[in-house]
Amino acid sequence: MKALTGSLSWEQRRKLTGLLFVLPTVLFVAVFFIIPLAMTGFMSFHDWPLIGEQSWIGTTNYSELANDRQFRKSLDFTFRYTLFVTPPIFILGFILASLVRHNIRFIGMFRAIFFMPVVIGLGVSSLLWVWMLDQRVGIFNKILLDLHLLDKPQLFLAKPSTAMNVIILSVVWKTVGFTMILLLAGLQSIPDELYESADVDGAGYFRKLFYITLPLMRRTIALALILSVIGSVLAFDQFYIITRGGPRNSTISIVYWIFNNSFVYWKLGYGSAMSIVLLTILMALTSIQYYVLREKE
Amino acid sequence: MIPVHDRQAGLGGLTQQQRRRLQQRALLSLKYLILTVLALLFLFPIAWSLINSLKLPSEALAVPPTYLPTQIVFDNYSELTNYGNYGVAGHVENSTIVALLTVVGSLVLSTLGGYGFARFNFPGKNALFIMVLSTLMIPFQSILIPLFVMLVRFELNDTLIGLALVYITFQLPFGIFLMRNSFLAVPKEIEEAALLDGCSSLSLLYRMMLRLVLPGIVTVAIYAFINSWNEFLAALIFMSDQDKFTLPVFLTLVRSGLWGTVDWGALQAGVIVAIFPCLVVFLLLQRYYINGLIGGAVNN
Amino acid sequence: MTPRRIIFAVLIMALCIGALPLSAQDEDVTMTMWVRNIGAQVQELVDEWNALGGAQIELTVIPPAEFITKMGAAIAAGESPDIASIDLIYAPAFAAAGQLLDLTDLVSDLPYADDLLPAHSELGTYEGRNYAVPFAIEGSFIIYNKDLFEQAGLDPESPPTTWDELLEAARAISAIDDETYGYYFAGSCAGCNAFTYLPFIWASGGDVLSDDYSEATITTDPIVREALELYRTMWEEGLIPEGASIDDGSSFTSAFATGTIGMAGTGAFGINTYRRDHPELNLGAFHIPGKDGGAASFGGGDVIAIGSGTQYPDEAWAFIEWMMSDETQLDIYAANNRTPVRVSLLENEYSADDDLVLTAASALSVGKSPYSLVYNDLFNDANGPWLEMIQVAIFDGDIDGALQLGQDRFTQIMSG
Repeated sequence: MKALTGSLSWEQRRKLTGLLFVLPTVLFVAVFFIIPLAMTGFMSFHDWPLIGEQSWIGTTNYSELANDRQFRKSLDFTFRYTLFVTPPIFILGFILASLVRHNIRFIGMFRAIFFMPVVIGLGVSSLLWVWMLDQRVGIFNKILLDLHLLDKPQLFLAKPSTAMNVIILSVVWKTVGFTMILLLAGLQSIPDELYESADVDGAGYFRKLFYITLPLMRRTIALALILSVIGSVLAFDQFYIITRGGPRNSTISIVYWIFNNSFVYWKLGYGSAMSIVLLTILMALTSIQYYVLREKE
Repeated sequence: MIPVHDRQAGLGGLTQQQRRRLQQRALLSLKYLILTVLALLFLFPIAWSLINSLKLPSEALAVPPTYLPTQIVFDNYSELTNYGNYGVAGHVENSTIVALLTVVGSLVLSTLGGYGFARFNFPGKNALFIMVLSTLMIPFQSILIPLFVMLVRFELNDTLIGLALVYITFQLPFGIFLMRNSFLAVPKEIEEAALLDGCSSLSLLYRMMLRLVLPGIVTVAIYAFINSWNEFLAALIFMSDQDKFTLPVFLTLVRSGLWGTVDWGALQAGVIVAIFPCLVVFLLLQRYYINGLIGGAVNN
Repeated sequence: MTPRRIIFAVLIMALCIGALPLSAQDEDVTMTMWVRNIGAQVQELVDEWNALGGAQIELTVIPPAEFITKMGAAIAAGESPDIASIDLIYAPAFAAAGQLLDLTDLVSDLPYADDLLPAHSELGTYEGRNYAVPFAIEGSFIIYNKDLFEQAGLDPESPPTTWDELLEAARAISAIDDETYGYYFAGSCAGCNAFTYLPFIWASGGDVLSDDYSEATITTDPIVREALELYRTMWEEGLIPEGASIDDGSSFTSAFATGTIGMAGTGAFGINTYRRDHPELNLGAFHIPGKDGGAASFGGGDVIAIGSGTQYPDEAWAFIEWMMSDETQLDIYAANNRTPVRVSLLENEYSADDDLVLTAASALSVGKSPYSLVYNDLFNDANGPWLEMIQVAIFDGDIDGALQLGQDRFTQIMSG
């Protein structure tokens, strides 16, 4: 090292040192991110079985996508799921954030409790929920039967609509704390004086909400929304574990269908083509995020 | 219950200030009531899982379920040690190894990289920084297939290291970003003084800076731990040898009834085992976790 | 370690090197064997073998739904097991991919080479070479609860032989009380329904695939519609418990074991389970009937093969030879109500007067196994068209939609 750098000026040595510091990171990102990203595109033009020889087939995978009934169904389902899961997460997150906003006694404990499910893995929480939802040993049926809200055990996972609803319930429980914390940070960044002067003017709760809170939190809200939407578009664990894609293949998300095609049907090339579609959707969402966040600055 | 007219009469005799204070106290009590109800609802699934994991195995399978255990036993946990070739302990070990590798790897890379990006100028710095951050925009779910093919090519699939390498990569943008900000927040004068004293860059980082950016380090470590401990999809795909499954993937085997009828009591014992370390880490180091979340998310 | 791996490790994981030994793999002195879980009996067999003191076998049991995924990934990585017990339906695909050791010479040297069950041996063959031999023999049939038959006023000794009789029996049994049901099937289990439902179609002279397995005949063969209508009728009339609709196969045997189900499809694997865990059940068995008589069975089960990457081909073959020997077939297979893999042993001292075991064995004579490289994607996949078609037809009642959907997706998969 000394011999190598000895002849360099202090300035040049600093440049070299800086490069060396970031080199491991750059290598990691290049090997495990940039190369795979390029490979996804490359593989999508191949017939690439899990076992055996791959061959170039041009855009065949993409034209096959157009005829893949389940792929369309999965796109449709993923968007519907995103559409239905986002409002509850968001509204409950906002209510919770408002409730825990001020530093009253025990508030730290309440914040921690609402946030706790976030640190549990989605896979593990799905294993917990699939058991609570079971028609025989599950607690939900037990409680609903004991309260006489049901007269016989309900098969929550047997109908597409109820399956979607109970999954939304489990995901809201698991993720709402995350949205709460983001919105809480946004709420707390609004100066108290604004509310005080509104109070003096005699403004009610909703006036303050629509004229002070929401406008000043636009950035935070946009961010929380986008993060929640991206998370929903990538949903996999809860469907793989709780519904196995059923009933009638009505809960196969995009990532689930990519997983199936690649690792169950051994069609890696076809899975790659779908990944490219997924990437496009995600890039579009991210661009919206940047656009919104920049504009409202 | 106080009759309504009594209350009004009582309030009528108070000054405006007293009345407002009373109103506020009533509101506050209402708030606590709502908070408590919500908190119980949020705690319920975890508590219910814990309670059931402590039931007798036969009771945990009862149809319909019982609310409270007739006696508290750890049979479901010992049951779990019989599953698979190594029992649950082997899979806890797998998860621990992957999580530790991810924590160590993310820390070393983020600290070095964050320092490099914060304190040095070199050609292509901005381009490289953007390249690292771009990993945030493209989640790993969309490049799993080539990652799998590459790991196979390097003979790293089905190894805990291979899995950890992937996890580290996807911890990097957050880690680099956070550590870069932490280093930027350290006054330059401290560093310059040390450099004038003849300290090399690496020993400067090691001797002085690390202590100053400790909060950032703790945050990166927590995230690396919790994310790698909980990750499911990549672990499901990259590991084919059952003995090397991480805990969440192993638990799906318990649920699939691989070892006889689905043993719900043992499954809940497994769920508790999987949740426990995350909750401990979170509850002990909450501040760092939340700060990281806000800092990382709001600023990116 | 290859140089590539070393270079890679040094370059990228300098930081991890301290931890490298942690995950370094144990050097196997034992053979690995994979099996999908079809009961605990394989473990017993392997335990017997290990007790002999030769090369040891370490058994890994894999959920059937994940077998193809895990096996594919392992093969792709060159880490396939030394011995694999493969769903016989997948054998052609694995053989075609060159992943199985050619056993042709070893098998033809066996004194009982011609005695091995023909259907299974056939699926173990690819382009005239032999890659796998029979291991677990499962012909599907229907098991029934004689006590419930009696309570319903049916003759427990003359089980149904046509669809109408089956439906009448199911109605009579369901009429006993609210807790009792005439029939059961696992409504969210793809493989279970290939095993126990397809034969209804075959027994009536129909099929969902053309004879050369080249195209789907779901919309063109009227029997397929009638078979769906049969189950739909039973479902609509409440002859099948509601929980069946979400059974992904994990309650396939346990539902019948409760003693409240009149009839349910099963295979030889069920006999031992019921006998061992539920001796109180008074069991009978009959072949899966056709619409107006006749019978059929799904010739299923596993073949056993040696991975082409194994270091222990001789030891692996020694185990397989031992497994097929007279002693093992009689003392371990037949003694535990399992169907032997050799024709001449099908009737033996253990089966002599055992109605169930004889039904299971004779089911093979009407057995059929589709030979298709995309079998998994069509029938066995939990998200495949076969199960979706059944669910839409039976639980939603949309038989036209189900048939069209099945035909479309079958065609798409078979062309792709």
